Amino acid sequence: MSDRIDSLLGQALAILFALGLGAIVILTVDESPLRVLVTLLNGAFGNPERIAGTLLQTTPILICGIAACISLRAGLFNIGIEGQLFMGGFWATWVGFSFNLPPVLHLLLAMAVAIIAGMAWIAIPAFFRARYNTNEVVSTILANYVAILVTSYLTINIFKRPGGLSETPPIHESAYLPELFSFSRLNWGLIIGLVLACAVHFFFTRMSRGYAVSEMGANPKFAEYGGIDIKRQIFVVLLASGAVGGLAGGVEALGVHHRFMEGFAPGFGFDGVIAALLANGSPIGTIFTALFFGALRSGSLLLEVDTTASREIITVIQALIILAVSAQITIKRRASDSTAGERRWKF
Amino acid sequence: MEVLERLFNVALVVATLRTTAPILLVALGGSFTTKAGIFNIGLEGQMLVGAFFAVIGTIFTGSPWIGVLCGVAAALVLAFVFALLVVTFKANEVVVGLALNILAGGMTVSLLKAIFGTRGSIFGHGLVGLPVLRLPNARDLGWFGQMISGYTPLVYVAFILVPVLILFYNRSRLGLYIRVVGEKPEAAEALGISIARIRYVSSLLCGLLAGLAGAHLSLGYTTMFTENMSSGRGFMAVAILIFSNGDPLKILLGCLLFGFSDALSLRLQTFGISSYLVLAVPYLVALIALFALSYRARPRIIQETLASMGRALSVKPNAATDAEKAVTRG
Repeated sequence: MSDRIDSLLGQALAILFALGLGAIVILTVDESPLRVLVTLLNGAFGNPERIAGTLLQTTPILICGIAACISLRAGLFNIGIEGQLFMGGFWATWVGFSFNLPPVLHLLLAMAVAIIAGMAWIAIPAFFRARYNTNEVVSTILANYVAILVTSYLTINIFKRPGGLSETPPIHESAYLPELFSFSRLNWGLIIGLVLACAVHFFFTRMSRGYAVSEMGANPKFAEYGGIDIKRQIFVVLLASGAVGGLAGGVEALGVHHRFMEGFAPGFGFDGVIAALLANGSPIGTIFTALFFGALRSGSLLLEVDTTASREIITVIQALIILAVSAQITIKRRASDSTAGERRWKF
Repeated sequence: MEVLERLFNVALVVATLRTTAPILLVALGGSFTTKAGIFNIGLEGQMLVGAFFAVIGTIFTGSPWIGVLCGVAAALVLAFVFALLVVTFKANEVVVGLALNILAGGMTVSLLKAIFGTRGSIFGHGLVGLPVLRLPNARDLGWFGQMISGYTPLVYVAFILVPVLILFYNRSRLGLYIRVVGEKPEAAEALGISIARIRYVSSLLCGLLAGLAGAHLSLGYTTMFTENMSSGRGFMAVAILIFSNGDPLKILLGCLLFGFSDALSLRLQTFGISSYLVLAVPYLVALIALFALSYRARPRIIQETLASMGRALSVKPNAATDAEKAVTRG
């Protein structure tokens, strides 16, 4: 237990160090770090609408983060969540505007299609990773670019709303993911994310299949001797990760935008990966890191209005935090090498 | 026929060489880290800061050459941080590389806004590109002269570096050390080579070329800086590095393939094919090459399949190949 507190303390120190560096970066662009901090906090939590806005930004980051957790636990890097999100979002929208179905059924079908689209988009990289050990980091990153361009093509060249901007027709109301409050677009997606985080946590900590996946992440050779079919498991884990990535797109399309457009969800997939890394692959931890990044994002909207700093300054801070944490974990590892085996993967 | 003539001519070769150069530079940079046994996904970010600071340096000094130096210096800083975290702190190279890419993307956009008050892109502001080099007597060589003359200097640097790196890896002491560290770290240790030092050196050499690649992108290939202008070239370079195993000649072939698909797809755009699909072509080529070659790169699996097929047909696979050899020799 004290080990856990130690590691949390180390994590907190690393984040503080990164925020210190971030303050220096803010100084170099001629802005006061304190003012930036106050603006960020005000923008993220200033009133109920803003809190809802923060949670609205948290939702896709959380679901993408869970997708990343699933692959990280198995020692795999699904960096293609952004692409799976775009695919899931587009095809959910397609179901949303192409069919006329009764309310609940329509929503469920659109969600299911989003999940299938996400799985389909990772299927080929997953197959080659499982069968031929093709590096999944590069293949999923490259697939992101293709996904974004292909969905743009489908949106603008095939399904463009007549007379509209570069966007598809809106989905029918029967496919809407219901909103939680009247004053915000915050919707059931957040609940889905929270339930999913708990379910994935339960799977990894309480079920033998989940244990087998973590085992593979910790030591693939050992897992293979233990009788686990590694190739099959790699394939299934990556498909599951892609499915959750597709779901994130479906939630974003059916709950927030109700249509698909260019620049549909800027960077949520990457933020999800970072949130999962910061939480050390724990789905429950990802709830908090996703909230942290959601607050940064939501606060940065006000940042752009009230200060001269650009909102991209928050991505700099996020990157600095990950760098600091990645170094800090290994320092700890070397300090107490006897516990090194407990780490699920090398950070 | 006419369509083919419009597609394939000297201009296409020139366009191919032009589009090959930036990715060739960054991939050759990555060959240092690949050979030293580091998986460097951070090439993209190094290239991006190289492009950005090359433009900044040029605008503030008026000289594109000083701009190139600024770009290289910025990429070297990023490469040093990469080496510090990966080599000294033994952090995960994928995590560090990705974080540095994100850092590069956020930093360039933030600085763009802080310095010029704009988003998106900068050009003008007294920005001058690198001069075009016209080789003497190139006119007398006809179409060949057209092909080899009239590029910006870093294009020539990129192609000259291929034989230089071949010599470097096979003939120089440092090149051999880098290969030993990557292939057999235990042997390197036994020989008294400092693995950490070699990895730092190869990471910095990588930063040097990635910075040149970025500077070429913003001062040679175009004369402007745009948000995320490296647009995945660093990742494509990593794909090439995976299937070339860092060998300069194979890197050249891979990069020519990309340059060609890039140049060809830009021409297809004039035939009315959607620009979104055209832009996706290089990434698709990278993916297909990665998958196809990783399939080929598994001789063990192919042998296994051959063996099982042979068993099914009750023919020994080795005997068959020997026979084939005999036939081809005869």
